[in-house]
Amino acid sequence: MAKIIVVTSGKGGVGKTTSAAAIATGLALRGNKTVVIDFDVGLRNLDLIMGCERRVVYDLVNVIQGEAGLSQALIRDKRVDNLHILPASQTRDKDALTLEGVEKVLDTLSKDFDYILCDSPAGIERGAQLAMYFADEAIVVTNPEVSSVRDSDRILGLLASKTRRAERGAEEIKEHLLITRYNPLRVDSGDMLNLDDIREILAIDLIGLIPESEAVLRASNQGVPVTHDGDSDAGQAYADTVSRLLGEDVPLRFHEYQKKSLLSRMFGGGRR
Amino acid sequence: MSLKLDRERMAFTFKGGMLPMTVMELASADPERIREQLAGKLSQSPAFFQHTPVVLSVEKLDEPHLALERICAVCRAHKLLPVAVRGGADPVKQSAWALGLGWFPPHEGGRGRALESVAVGEPEATPDAGEGAEAELETPPGVTSGGRIFRGTVRSGQQITAPEGDLVVVGSVNAGAEVLAAGSVHVYGALRGRALAGIHGDPLASIFCRELHAELLSVAGNYKRLEDIDRRLLGAAVQVRLDGDQLGIAALA
Repeated sequence: MAKIIVVTSGKGGVGKTTSAAAIATGLALRGNKTVVIDFDVGLRNLDLIMGCERRVVYDLVNVIQGEAGLSQALIRDKRVDNLHILPASQTRDKDALTLEGVEKVLDTLSKDFDYILCDSPAGIERGAQLAMYFADEAIVVTNPEVSSVRDSDRILGLLASKTRRAERGAEEIKEHLLITRYNPLRVDSGDMLNLDDIREILAIDLIGLIPESEAVLRASNQGVPVTHDGDSDAGQAYADTVSRLLGEDVPLRFHEYQKKSLLSRMFGGGRR
Repeated sequence: MSLKLDRERMAFTFKGGMLPMTVMELASADPERIREQLAGKLSQSPAFFQHTPVVLSVEKLDEPHLALERICAVCRAHKLLPVAVRGGADPVKQSAWALGLGWFPPHEGGRGRALESVAVGEPEATPDAGEGAEAELETPPGVTSGGRIFRGTVRSGQQITAPEGDLVVVGSVNAGAEVLAAGSVHVYGALRGRALAGIHGDPLASIFCRELHAELLSVAGNYKRLEDIDRRLLGAAVQVRLDGDQLGIAALA
């Protein structure tokens, strides 16, 4: 049985898809058979981030509506063997998804995979609720700003009430906080909320902190999940996040501003 | 304060007010029995008997005539000041008026309020006085009677209601969340959302929290927005209650 993890946030543009791609890649690199599903029907992005946009033939909606088999729609990642992508449809909208259809797809995938990551659309409507409904765990992606924190809070409320586990009174969904675009310098200057404030308001466990990094933008545009960029701070931070997801105890990095030493500045080494 | 604002010629203005009031519900009309019990109470909690105004409720007595004058005398001897009588037949009303007391019609709800709240309203009363006095009165409306305890964080978009009694939140109430109670609201955490106490109009309901950042505070329909809250109280542990028709916010010591 696979573990189903939803990557969600409420607010758009905080890094859900980037994080879903990076974490799925990290899980697969660590030897777990992983599939990442794009639930953002109508605003398909995951395939771009994963660099497989030219290989999309069938998508999630085709599978749910019986127009294609699951194996036809699944795309095998070119870089990591045991990583698969199930893309969203760009031409349909979120009403094309049904609860029964999603359940069937997840049930089938569960038999073959260790991890199923559901990349949720923004918002709190149907699409987002379908993405989270069957989850065992949730990664709530939050930027260090007030509106993002409030939207994450709203999503946490939905996770506790509008999911299968909540409705059945089963064990609660395990909720993890992933803070992205963290810039310690701007936190120190008061432009951004600091880590402790976010943790205090959301009151859930921190699974990772991703620093604001040029590596992320570069990775997105190249279609190579940033986890592959092991030299970059963001790549390392995602690797740490994956380790924590796998139950390892890894100390937090990149949350404090460190002046670059003269040597690293001269030779351009260290973090990029 | 209001005097200064009024025109000079006005000797007074009438104002509606809800004051905390102790109701002494008589189960016996025998002045001697009342004296005995009062004497016991006085020794237990002397602080309560500080010329405390009381309303004598005779609703539970089924006697058309009462020795009202003697009962009042017993009360005064124990530093309780009867100010009015509630309930009773016409002769009772007449003798109350004759004694210079007000008369109220019988109480419809039938239930008194927790004397606990009254004790809070009396700055000079010591806590033990409140408890002592409370012991034999009606059960306070609270957690045990229709109240609700919520454990965890009340999140943005969520609404937790205690339609009867108090609401206790063991956790924080986040911005965009709303907590409501017929009685008081107790938040053992930060209060960042909206808190409404006394939603059915109970003026003695209060709001308590460990860290005040509330978007909105309301007791019995009287409200304050975050903007109206004294900045010095933000982040503090406070209690919020009605003081006349104004919401008073005070830091908890």
